[in-house]
Amino acid sequence: MSIYSEISENVRKGRMKAVKELVQSAVDSGNSAADILNLGLLSGMNEIGELFKNNEVYVPEVLVAARAMNAGVAILKPLLIQDNVQSVGKVCLGTVRGDMHDIGKNLVKMMMEGKGLEVIDLGTDVSPENFVNTAIEQNCRIICCSALLTTTMDEMAEVVKQAEIAGVRDKVKIMIGGAPVTDEFCKKIGADVYTSDAASAADAAVELCK
Amino acid sequence: MTNRERALNILHYKDVDRLPAVHFGYWGELLTEWVQQGKISKDFEGGIGDGSEADRALDKIIGWDFNWFCTKGANNGLYPCFESKELEVLPDGSKRVLNSVGVIERIKPGITSIPSEDDYTLKDRTAFEELYKPKMQFVKERVNYEYFSSFNETRDYDIPIGLHLGSVLGNIRDMTSVIGMSYLMYDEDEELLADIVDTYADMQYECAKAILETGARFDFAHYWEDICFKNGPLLSPEKFDELCAKHYKKRNDLCREYGIDIISLDCDGVTEKLLPTWFENGVNTMFPIEIGVWGDQFEKARNKFGKGMLGVGGMDKTALRKDKAAVDAEIERMKRLASMGGFIPCPDHRLMPGTKFELVQYYAEEIKKIRI
Repeated sequence: MSIYSEISENVRKGRMKAVKELVQSAVDSGNSAADILNLGLLSGMNEIGELFKNNEVYVPEVLVAARAMNAGVAILKPLLIQDNVQSVGKVCLGTVRGDMHDIGKNLVKMMMEGKGLEVIDLGTDVSPENFVNTAIEQNCRIICCSALLTTTMDEMAEVVKQAEIAGVRDKVKIMIGGAPVTDEFCKKIGADVYTSDAASAADAAVELCK
Repeated sequence: MTNRERALNILHYKDVDRLPAVHFGYWGELLTEWVQQGKISKDFEGGIGDGSEADRALDKIIGWDFNWFCTKGANNGLYPCFESKELEVLPDGSKRVLNSVGVIERIKPGITSIPSEDDYTLKDRTAFEELYKPKMQFVKERVNYEYFSSFNETRDYDIPIGLHLGSVLGNIRDMTSVIGMSYLMYDEDEELLADIVDTYADMQYECAKAILETGARFDFAHYWEDICFKNGPLLSPEKFDELCAKHYKKRNDLCREYGIDIISLDCDGVTEKLLPTWFENGVNTMFPIEIGVWGDQFEKARNKFGKGMLGVGGMDKTALRKDKAAVDAEIERMKRLASMGGFIPCPDHRLMPGTKFELVQYYAEEIKKIRI
């Protein structure tokens, strides 16, 4: 088994300690940071994402895999910067104004990072202005909004409006998701993409960044 | 017929004169809205307890018969609980607060929904053994013996009242957050999460036993779990079964020894994959069956498990924010479900802000006209 396959398998199994050791060993052996990231860490996270999408694994397995992946990424980070390795694209993500729920948002973040996207996490209770200003200032390709409550999901329409007011609607894609959100709602408010789970959100974001 | 008789007869497939109009309470913001609209008095502003005197008073104003979540139980959480304290105020005005179960929450002024969880205390065996285990023991102070000894003489016999059995995993999830529970599941100390669940469950069993031994009689028993979300359970059904099945069985067997044969369980989200563990270990009444937001389904459960699977809930509460036509459509659907027997219609969660007072009155009135 190659070192990359070993890293990938240990990410999938959520073995943080093993991932750290393997990534360090791969670095010490002269493997490139980009290969360790793509063929090892992200490959493992991709596998877990697919399994999650197919309901073959559950939230805990995703969380421990993401923890293991992030431990490996932390070792690689200075090397990736040094080698000028670019992310697949940049996303700003948050839970909409009035809503403090973040489990779904955090899962989406993990899945997106597992696809090699750079994610700016704005946290919870994020105003439409904050979403849009961040997208402009940080040059994000995608704004990604989450809501758990039927009473807060209408804030997503405000994000779309704010992007129009700021004149960036044609430059930034708006993705939405969360328990009460539907594709019908997405169309109604003029957002670009609705996905029903975190793994599909990451897939869709990668497509939008192509 | 009393409402208690109506409910119990329906859940035992016996005749009733009509359906009862049953609900599951309100978000506090809705009551505030209704106060501002002049629909109800200021006494109800901000929220009321399930089954409290205020809840019963509001039932009369609206036309409800009762709130299903009328239960009595022990103090079966952490005892004593952690002392809540404010840790810091952040620049945006939000506060980091250590709550009563050891979770550090971020609370923003003006937002009353579930707070954000920043961190938690129950991370390892040392925290469990030193901080939590002592608070998870059965002590007599958990049970109000005086109250339960006279319960049969003093209780309200117009409505069904349940024995609250606590929670097998939901409370643990509250102590750790979903992330923490997940990490514990994969901790190097493989027995840790099971030890936590076992310790807590044993205490809750002792609490239920102590209450039942006082002679207090209940119409049903009830759990709270909330261990599912939009796409299903928050953990694998196999792991859930491994951790929890034996505890449901033990507690439910105890209830049956004392003549309680309706055991309901409150779980939001899509519950389908956990139903086998619950049903095979004695839970037989699903509540509140969230069809509106999550698409949870009672018919599927009934088809799979047969007439032994009972339900309370399943009415899409979002119709009560819309219009009469939407409510009528739900009433028709409820009529169909109720005609299967063993099912009591009830809004599929607490009524939320934006719910129209007149539509709720209309729904309650119309449901009571249904004969099954």
